[in-house]
Amino acid sequence: MKAVFKRELRSYFASPIGYVCVAALLALYGFYYFQVMMMGSTSYITSAYNAMFTFCMMIIPIITMRSMTDDRKNKTDQALLTAPVGTLSIVIGKFLSSFFVYFIASTLGLLPAVALSFFSTPPWGVVLGNYVGTLLYGGAMVAIGVFISSLTVSQIIAAIGTFAVAVFLMFIDSLASGLSSSWVSAVVGWISFNTRYTPFTQGLFNVSSAIFFLSVMAVFVFLTARKVESRRWS
Amino acid sequence: MVEVKNLTKRYGVNMALNNVSFKVEEGTIVGFLGPNGAGKSTTMNIVTGYLSATSGEVTVSGKNTLDEPNEVKKLIGYLPEQPPLYLDMTVKEYLNFMYELKKVKLPREKHIKEICQLTKIDNVYDRLIGNLSKGYRQRVGIAQALLGNPPVLILDEPTVGLDPKQIIEIRNLITNLGRNHTVILSSHILSEVQAVCERIIVINNGRIVADGATDTLAHDLSKDHRLILRVEAPEREAVHAIRELENVVDVYSMGEKEKGVYELSVESEPNADVRRPLFALLARKGWPMLALKNTDLTLEDLFLQLTSSDTAYSQNEDKEARPKVDIAYEPESAPDGNAADGNAETEKGGEEE
Repeated sequence: MKAVFKRELRSYFASPIGYVCVAALLALYGFYYFQVMMMGSTSYITSAYNAMFTFCMMIIPIITMRSMTDDRKNKTDQALLTAPVGTLSIVIGKFLSSFFVYFIASTLGLLPAVALSFFSTPPWGVVLGNYVGTLLYGGAMVAIGVFISSLTVSQIIAAIGTFAVAVFLMFIDSLASGLSSSWVSAVVGWISFNTRYTPFTQGLFNVSSAIFFLSVMAVFVFLTARKVESRRWS
Repeated sequence: MVEVKNLTKRYGVNMALNNVSFKVEEGTIVGFLGPNGAGKSTTMNIVTGYLSATSGEVTVSGKNTLDEPNEVKKLIGYLPEQPPLYLDMTVKEYLNFMYELKKVKLPREKHIKEICQLTKIDNVYDRLIGNLSKGYRQRVGIAQALLGNPPVLILDEPTVGLDPKQIIEIRNLITNLGRNHTVILSSHILSEVQAVCERIIVINNGRIVADGATDTLAHDLSKDHRLILRVEAPEREAVHAIRELENVVDVYSMGEKEKGVYELSVESEPNADVRRPLFALLARKGWPMLALKNTDLTLEDLFLQLTSSDTAYSQNEDKEARPKVDIAYEPESAPDGNAADGNAETEKGGEEE
C-alpha cells in the first residue's frame, strides 16, 4: 500500500497533471476569496466555500481519471496483481494518493484565510468547518472517481463519467423537490452530497454527514477492489 | 516445485485452456512452445495469480494459489509478455518501487545493484524507462522479476524484441539462472527453446500436445523409426538381404543416387536399433555403406506437425526422403509419466486432425 501510494503520488508530480490540478483549485479559491471579500465587502466566507463545491467537482475527475485506467492500459497491473499484496491495499494506495493531491490543494486553499488573519480575524470556526467539509466531500468524490476509472481503460471516459456522477449528485436535490412521493424524496435527500455538505459551510461539524462521506469512501474503495478482482475471473 | 492440475480456462464460449496438467521439478528450465494464441500466456498468468482458472488448481512448492495467494506470489518472479514498466519512472525508481511492492527483505542497495549487473542495466540506472530501447526495457522487466530472488521464474517470451547479441546474453543469463531457479519460459522460437530448455511442453489450442526432454522429444514422438541407407550394392539383392534381418519391418529402394549406389529406406520395429546388425551384414557382404541417417523429426517438423491443423506439410514438402508421420502421440511412449492425462487428450486431438 505504501509503495503504491508513493509511486502514484510521484507520478502525479512527475507529470504536469498534479501541479495543474492543485494550481487550478488554488487560483479558483483565491479568486473567490477576492470576489467575496473585496468586491462584496462582506465577511460571509461561506459563499466562497460554497462555490468551491462546484470547482472541486470539476477538478476531481481530472485527478482520478488515470488512477486505475493507466495500469490496465500499460499492463503494469500485471506487476501489481502478481506482487504479494492484496488487491484492496493496492486500491487503498491509489485512492490515498489521489486524495492526497486533493488534500494538498484544499490545504493550500486555507492560505487566503491565513493572509486575511494578518489584517482582521477571520471566523476560524467557519473556515475550518469548510475545510473539513471539502475534505470529506472530496474524499467521497475521489473514491467514486477511482471506482469509475476502474471500469474503463479510457481516461476520458473515466473523467467524463466521474463528472457526470458528480453533477447528478449535485442536482439530485432539485430532483427530490419535484417528486410527489415523500419517502422517495427523503431517500434522495439522504444521498444528496449537497445537503450533506451544506452544514460544514456554516462551520458546523455534522457527525452524521461526516460518517456518510466516510462510508461512501469505504464502499467505493471496496467496490473498486472487487472490480479489479473480478477481472481475474472474466 | 510447480504443479498444474487439470487447468481449464474459458473466456465465454472460447476455451483458452483445456485440462492442462504438468509438473515442473525444482531446478529445471522448461520451455513452453506453441503458436500465438495457444494458451501459453494464459497458463503463465494463471500460475502467477494474475488470472484465475475456471477449474483446476496450481500449487507452487506445496502451496495452493487459491489458499495462500500472497505466499505463492512471493515465490514467483514474473516477466509478462509486455514488461510491466512505468514509463514515467527511472530504472532506479522503478526497481526500488518493485522492491517495496514485493516486500523484499534482502539488503536493498546491494541486492538491486547485483541484479542490475546481472541483467546489464547498470549503465541506464538513472535514465527514464520511457526513453529506453526495447531491449533495455525487456531487461529491466527481467530485473524486476529477479527482485527478491524468487525460486521460480516465469518468463513470457523473454527475448522478444532483442537484437541477436542481446538474445544470446539473455539466453546465457537464463541458463545461469536455471542452475538455482526453476524457470518456465515461453517462446515460439524453436531454436531458443532448444538452446535453453531441458524440457519442452508443446501447447496448442489450449491443450498440451507433447511434453518431454528436449533431446529426445522428437525421437520419442515420431512413431516411425526409419533409417535412410546409402549403399554400393546390387539393388535387389541388398533389399532382400536387409529384409531378412531381425526387427526389420520393411525395406524398399528409393532409387539409384550415384552410379551403382542405391538409397534404401529401412523401417524397423519401434524401440529396436538395427544399425549394428545392418553394419555387420553389409560388412559381411562386402557392400560399402556410404551413408546412414535416421529420419527423426527435427524440432521444427515436430512443431509444425503438432500444431498445424492439416498434415499437408509432411506430404508435400519432403516427399522424397521423409515419410509421412502420424501425429498421434502414444501414451506408452511418453517420456514423462506425469503428463499421462495430457497425452490421452492428445491422442484424441491428433486423430481429429
